[in-house]
Amino acid sequence: MRDARVTTSILGVGAVLLMGACGGGESGARPWSLEASLAEAGSGIPFCEEVTARVAEFMSQYEGQMPPSAQYGGAAVVGSIGEIPDGMNGHVSQDYTASQHQNFVNLMTLVAYDADANPTPYLAESWEVSDDNTEITFHIRDDVYWHDGELTDAYDVAYTFERAIDPETGFPNTAYWTHYDQGPDGVQVVDSFTVTFRMRPHADYIDPWRATAIMPEHLLGDVPSATLRQHPYGTVCPVGNGPFIFVQHRQDASWTFQANPAFPQALGGRPYVDRYIYRNINEPTTLLTDLLTGQLSVYIRPTPDQAQAVLDSDAVDLLAYPFRDYILVGWNARRLQLSDKRVRQALTRGTNREEIVDALLQGYGTVANGSVPPFHWAFDPSVGKDAMSYDQDAARALLEAAGWEDSDGDGVRENADGERLSISIKYNEGNDTRQDIAEIMQAQLAEIGVEVAPTVVEWGTLLSQITDPVDRDFDGVVIGWVVEYKLDDTDLFHSSSFSGAYGWSGTMRPDVDRLLEELPLVVDRDEAKPLWAEYQELLVDEQPYTFFYFPDRLDGVSKGLNDVQMDDRGEWVNVKDWWLSPDERR
Amino acid sequence: MTDPRGLSLSVVLPGMPQMLKGRWGVGGVSLMVWVGLLGVLLTRWARFAAGWSGPLDHQVASLTVVAGLLGTWGWSMFDVSRPVESERNGMGQWSLAAQAFRKNRIAVVGVMIVVAIYLIALVTPLIAPHDPATQGSLIASRLVRPGGDFPLGTDHLARDVFSRIMYGARISLSIGFVAVGISITIGTLLGAVSGYLGGWVDTVLMRFVDMVLAFPRLVLLIAILALFQSNSIFLIMAILGFTTWPSTARIVRGDVLSLREREFIEAAQALGFGRRRIILRHVIPNVLGPVIVAATLGIGNVIVLEAGLSFLGLGLQPPTPSWGSMVADGRDHLLTAWWISTFPGLAIVLTVVAFNLVGDGLRDALDPRLRV
Amino acid sequence: MRTFVVRRLLGAIPLVLGIATIIFFVVNLAPGDPAMRFLNPNMSDAAAEQIRVNLGLDQPIHIRYVRWLGALAQGDLGFSFTRNRPVLAIIGEILPNTLILSFTAIGVAFVMGILLGIVQAVRQYSLLDSVASIVGLFFYSMPSFWLALMMVLLFSLFASVWQWPIQFPPSDIQSVDYVFLGPMEKVQDRLMHLVLPATSLALVLAAGIARYTRGSMLEVIRQDFVRTARAKGLSEPVVIFKHALRNGLIPVITLLGLYLPFLFSGTVFIEFVFSWPGMGKLVVDAIGQRDFPVIMGGTLVFANMVVVGNLVSDLLYAVVDPRIRYD
Repeated sequence: MRDARVTTSILGVGAVLLMGACGGGESGARPWSLEASLAEAGSGIPFCEEVTARVAEFMSQYEGQMPPSAQYGGAAVVGSIGEIPDGMNGHVSQDYTASQHQNFVNLMTLVAYDADANPTPYLAESWEVSDDNTEITFHIRDDVYWHDGELTDAYDVAYTFERAIDPETGFPNTAYWTHYDQGPDGVQVVDSFTVTFRMRPHADYIDPWRATAIMPEHLLGDVPSATLRQHPYGTVCPVGNGPFIFVQHRQDASWTFQANPAFPQALGGRPYVDRYIYRNINEPTTLLTDLLTGQLSVYIRPTPDQAQAVLDSDAVDLLAYPFRDYILVGWNARRLQLSDKRVRQALTRGTNREEIVDALLQGYGTVANGSVPPFHWAFDPSVGKDAMSYDQDAARALLEAAGWEDSDGDGVRENADGERLSISIKYNEGNDTRQDIAEIMQAQLAEIGVEVAPTVVEWGTLLSQITDPVDRDFDGVVIGWVVEYKLDDTDLFHSSSFSGAYGWSGTMRPDVDRLLEELPLVVDRDEAKPLWAEYQELLVDEQPYTFFYFPDRLDGVSKGLNDVQMDDRGEWVNVKDWWLSPDERR
Repeated sequence: MTDPRGLSLSVVLPGMPQMLKGRWGVGGVSLMVWVGLLGVLLTRWARFAAGWSGPLDHQVASLTVVAGLLGTWGWSMFDVSRPVESERNGMGQWSLAAQAFRKNRIAVVGVMIVVAIYLIALVTPLIAPHDPATQGSLIASRLVRPGGDFPLGTDHLARDVFSRIMYGARISLSIGFVAVGISITIGTLLGAVSGYLGGWVDTVLMRFVDMVLAFPRLVLLIAILALFQSNSIFLIMAILGFTTWPSTARIVRGDVLSLREREFIEAAQALGFGRRRIILRHVIPNVLGPVIVAATLGIGNVIVLEAGLSFLGLGLQPPTPSWGSMVADGRDHLLTAWWISTFPGLAIVLTVVAFNLVGDGLRDALDPRLRV
Repeated sequence: MRTFVVRRLLGAIPLVLGIATIIFFVVNLAPGDPAMRFLNPNMSDAAAEQIRVNLGLDQPIHIRYVRWLGALAQGDLGFSFTRNRPVLAIIGEILPNTLILSFTAIGVAFVMGILLGIVQAVRQYSLLDSVASIVGLFFYSMPSFWLALMMVLLFSLFASVWQWPIQFPPSDIQSVDYVFLGPMEKVQDRLMHLVLPATSLALVLAAGIARYTRGSMLEVIRQDFVRTARAKGLSEPVVIFKHALRNGLIPVITLLGLYLPFLFSGTVFIEFVFSWPGMGKLVVDAIGQRDFPVIMGGTLVFANMVVVGNLVSDLLYAVVDPRIRYD
């Protein structure tokens, strides 16, 4: 290991020069300690000691290279609530923040999406699909190096796929691959940079390759699938091929990455910032303070109530854009009170969602009437707009039609058997907006004679209560879904999902089933659009959920950080293009 | 010897004669209760009258007003008309303590604050300007600054902060009261038994105390709240009560150990009294001093603890307004609407400070070694 | 003395094991499932089951318990479910942060508290006594998370907005430029980050210590030997600091041991507000994530701290009070 230390310190010297050249006057005098950071990351774990040494050695050849322009330099610091779970280990990870870092920071995906969700080349230079839509061939770039100097090739792609479909891995997104041939001939490496997959025709055949980061076969190929989760690669010493090199992970505190000088010029070359740092900060007030005092360049998702404070500041901007998630109140139609779709409709129409969006979200959001968010090509704003508008009288009429009337004058309706129209709405602790929704619904639905008891439940407990097919211990639940580009509600609303984990509503309709089966197979979007509209209308009628709203995603960004693009693809989508104004660099 | 001038003054302003005689502690408390409740009665007559047929808490409020007024008046009249203190003979342990307590003006202020908070908590339905759970228009009356209709502003759901603090007083005080009740009952009993019996009982009980003390309370709390799947006020009271008793047990045990050797216990043993009788009749009454102190201080602690739980999202079921959850929920608005969390926070501080002042005063008063 | 320490430590083993066992069953039987955090329609039930198998959760609880005990005997605390590292390594990285914070806070609090307490005792019932009591009580009565938030807003945000000469960083234990700093700058950087959290914690503690010291000093000041010292004509400072203090401090010192466990749970709020990567935050996070191995590891650390804390306070007792001997 002694040799390794020597090479890392050589890299250290190079980095000092690099910093001195681009970081302005003061940073030149500072001792650089990537060496120490890398050595620290690896110490005590043989695998890590070895790979970090190789990374240091490979990168040392770039020492002394001057960045091509004055745009380069500085550290971009991003603050958010929570650690990055599972780190850079794409084999076992499904977490949003983790995927973002895998796909855009440390690793690469085969394809990327442009702002309109059209696939564009990234690690794959190009691809062809056979005429019958059953074969896809990717041509991989031949100039992408893993940070330890190995070339990224077709074997890595095949390896990633094989691990993902290996049941022993426990890959959390198994649904990505349902239309891919998982047999022995499913994947074929044609040559070092060409790989072919077999599949069944599907509308979103390319989407998994946008979502799955390619992992290094040469480092992890020998690791048994079942132990991949515990491998130090993920959280102690990841070695990626993306625009940023992993430098240091301080548990529960921060991840530090450094610009990768070997990143292909064709893809933009070395990122502008010298360092990218992710910081885990737990308290919103502290996050806001960090942003406003210049400790952070980006505050991921300030609360809507903090938006005004961000707007008021001269030093930061507020980015607001529609995202892929929606907030909903799921109704358990197995309950007597909620079994009639007219009652569920009444609950929706008795809730002033417009007002709630304005008040709770400060207007940063759109009322939702279906499961297709605005970013999606199949989104139709007219669906359910009138049918589910706020109208207390209509809601009362619906309840009366369903046989719920307040016969004893206590303000709460009863049915013919004397059963009261009293339900609980559960939400998870620590989520103020969801708590507010439940409390507002309690107040507003009381006006139409429905008694609502908001009930806070600890998150883990709540999940088991709503997903356990036997118990389904809830009436209503405030929760959110993040939608993928490959939109598929089968697990939510198909009759076959009645006993599945996500069949919360338990509603069953043959016409919904038929459409859910048909939709994924329609490859042509123009053909699919009317079907989607039809499907949405059915959901509006059935109201398995009160689709509440599509929240805008908010991010506080320092004015010194330029060219930040954030949209439905995520906050980190162009992290390699961020650059700092000279006086913001440190 | 009676005091006719005092008597006539007491008819109008009970407590005033006592204050004039320098007993401003009891006098002040009585006067405060009298004036406060009279004010409520006069300004909220309609609500007071309606209270008798209203819900339980409303009835309690009206009853409090009547009982408080009559009680204060009656006590003051009786007090003025009875012989002055020096004419009574002898002073017991408790009146000695009372005398010492009275000297501690700051502790007396504490008592006044505590009494005032309890009164407010009891008569809240009569005086609160708004219903704590009613939301105003989310558009028009959300995050309204303090002043006007809403003396302390409104919160993010357009509810009146002032009213919520008043209603919250009941929640926080009840949690403190019941949890500490549980805690000192268990603590005193186990401490007394352990100290008096000694031997293996003592060993076992003290190991148990060690274990409860060493328990990561937060882990246990969160796990239990998850297990019971509800955050009802009773559960929170019970958990806080059942996890805070060991310190009381230790104090009591220590005192009992020395008490055991005293003559009157030996005398009781010689008389052949049973253990249960000795512990309940002779041991426990003699360790009550420190227990009362611990209880007073404990109420403050529990109120702060409950606030901490709310911060971690483990507070009470909304929309129950507890001070802790109000502070915790309002913290997202600290920069834009500081009043949401600041006022309940101050309420917590005021209450806990008052309880601690009383507790400190009691400790100084009840411990003869500390008397000047 | 040594036999006493050994005996105490051996006696603590069943205690710690008992606590760990109870916590093991409580957290394992509580509703919720570590695989739930992957909840997503993209995950099939089979995949969820496989994740449980990979985490070792497919076994019945008694088998898991025996396995956990077996591993514990070999010094292995298992792997975290979300951090994917050995729990021992995680605690090794996190525990020092908590200890730094706690011990700094304890140190500051004891110095502040004892000094204040002495002054209050000497001037009992004076204006100074009352003011100090009230101010101390004010901090003592504040929910610590609220105090911490106020510190953040005042000394970090407003200090920056109002351009105060000094402002403190509100989060983490070091700045992002830490690696670039020279040795002295590093120390300074760490200290700057320590100021707000340690002060928040110390203020709460100091108020309690001051009250305790005051009471204990009052008791001592009225004792005969202090009167004798005064009668001998010794100056008041000598009487107070040489004669009274030594005896008055005995009960205060024992507080030190009792505060150790408190600091573990008491720091939770401070750690959350200041994003201090410490044990309290780790364990509370782990409970939310159903990260059983981390919860168990944290519990063991906590229980051990209590045992050590009690031991330390007993030993300190012997140091300050020569009448007490542990043989």
